[in-house]
Amino acid sequence: MLAVENLKVVYRGVILALDGVTLRVEPGEAVAVLGPNGAGKSTLVRALGGLLANYEGRVLDGRILLGDAEITHAGPLAPAREGLTAVLEGRPVFRYLTVMENLRAAGHRLPRARLAREIEEVLARFPRLAERRHEQAGYLSGGEQQMLILGMALLTEPRFLVVDEPSLGLAPRLVADLFQRLRQLQRERGLALVLVEQNARAALAIVDRVYVLERGRVVFEGRREEAERDVDVLEFYLGEGPAGYRQARRYRRRKRWV
Amino acid sequence: MSFFLQLLVAGIATGALYALMAMGFVLVYRATRVVNFAIGEFLLVGGYLTYTLNLVLPLPWAMVLTLPLAFAFGLLVERGFVRPLLGRNVVAVIMATIGLALALDGATQLAWGPDQKYLEGQLPVLTLALGELILPSRSVWSLLLALPAALALVYALKRSRYGVLVRAVAESEVAALAMKIPAPRIVALVWGLSAALAAVGGALLAGLSGVGPHLIAMGLMVFPVAILGGMDSVGGALLAGMLVGVAESLSRGYLEALVPGITEATPFLIVLLVLLARPYGLFGEREIERV
Ligand SMILES: Nc1ncnc2c1ncn2[C@@H]1O[C@H](COP(=O)(O)OP(=O)(O)O)[C@@H](O)[C@H]1O
Ligand SMILES: [Mg+2]
Repeated sequence: MLAVENLKVVYRGVILALDGVTLRVEPGEAVAVLGPNGAGKSTLVRALGGLLANYEGRVLDGRILLGDAEITHAGPLAPAREGLTAVLEGRPVFRYLTVMENLRAAGHRLPRARLAREIEEVLARFPRLAERRHEQAGYLSGGEQQMLILGMALLTEPRFLVVDEPSLGLAPRLVADLFQRLRQLQRERGLALVLVEQNARAALAIVDRVYVLERGRVVFEGRREEAERDVDVLEFYLGEGPAGYRQARRYRRRKRWV
Repeated sequence: MSFFLQLLVAGIATGALYALMAMGFVLVYRATRVVNFAIGEFLLVGGYLTYTLNLVLPLPWAMVLTLPLAFAFGLLVERGFVRPLLGRNVVAVIMATIGLALALDGATQLAWGPDQKYLEGQLPVLTLALGELILPSRSVWSLLLALPAALALVYALKRSRYGVLVRAVAESEVAALAMKIPAPRIVALVWGLSAALAAVGGALLAGLSGVGPHLIAMGLMVFPVAILGGMDSVGGALLAGMLVGVAESLSRGYLEALVPGITEATPFLIVLLVLLARPYGLFGEREIERV
């Protein structure tokens, strides 16, 4: 089980990006973390991956537990040991490495024969990657890079897979396809999936539970159906809701913000 | 014709040595973006280690044993000097490596004295005569050791499991960490390797011409070579090393009599000319641009 308790994160000692976030993900569960730009979603992903130090960030308070292990301050390689892999925003593949080299780099901990088998499995799952296996990853399309980084993440053998905005910059058709693959992966492998997204509608289609972040806090938490019923969530994260009502609410909401 | 060939091969031999040192320097630059101004002192440390070991061991053994010690020295420098500074601004890191260079200059003088040291015994004399072509022992050794080592390094980076990881870390430390690649360990390894490669140069030169501050000057040849190769290309450093070695050798053979002192300037003149035409050096990796 992944548990985040009252997590507070600051950048450069002053910018408070997470202000007491608490959430919980059970093994094998698919959870979405939604929220507008600047809500602190990527900060959460970096914290889970133990990568805050690379962004001049630091956990100020609270803790992150993976099973029995506390990984809050354990550094970048600890989450890995406990079976959590964080796929950072912007699909950070190694652009000067070929597709194959990217996969080999990500799977470096596997024994040689296993690695070869697992790579073949990833390539079978994503045939576009197989076609372009000897090309530098920097020349792949956005969708292909997203598949590559997911394939790489799989080779690290996660039990908890955290993915930051995979839909970013992809055409809607690609997003739907990508999310279906994610869902399938999650089911087949019994992964816990934490899908961090701005694209709420697409994300809601494949998760069981939802958290909504806003200004570094959890402002909504519930099952997917509840999220789909909740007017606030619909309105602000799906851009839907009864028209007149929506106007009024947005006005009220804006006042509450300032 | 044979005079030309003679110069050419001698140039390639020296060039291989330059290349080897520059490759270590370039690897460090790629992996940490640190321009190591103490590279000449790395050479010096290699030379003095060989000298010291040679007090109790035969020279070939002293040279071999120098390598792991130099590697450990590189690890120490990374731990003590580089890691605490990573992420600071470029100037701070540059000042730090210059400081390290001065400190090492002082420390080696204190430990070993200011005078030139000569080694006990020498490498077996291997002069190679191919028809009219006669290669001095120095060139033969350098060809024998530096060239295969340089080629092996290029191959390992390109093909080996560790080589792929080094390139991954060099491209993005945070992306590597996210994929569970132990980036700090790999960065340390790169510094160790760079120190060991410089020490190959130091040990070889120590065996050929003794140990003293002139080794630092040899080490500084790394700069024109690395810049010419494009700073971040290891293969580029290999070719640029050869190029500089050959140019130097030809200049010594043909131009030195006409323009005394020209040979020392030759590498830098070449760099200047090449950079005018190609600002990123001969083999600098071009940024991948994709919309
Ligand atoms: N490296 C950083 N240094 C300083 N501030 C940052 C850094 N990264 C993010 N922030 C700030 O932290 C807040 C949360 O950002 P982020 O986690 O990227 O949000 P999201 O991913 O939801 O868009 C924002 O106000 C952002 O400006
Ligand atoms: Mg983000």
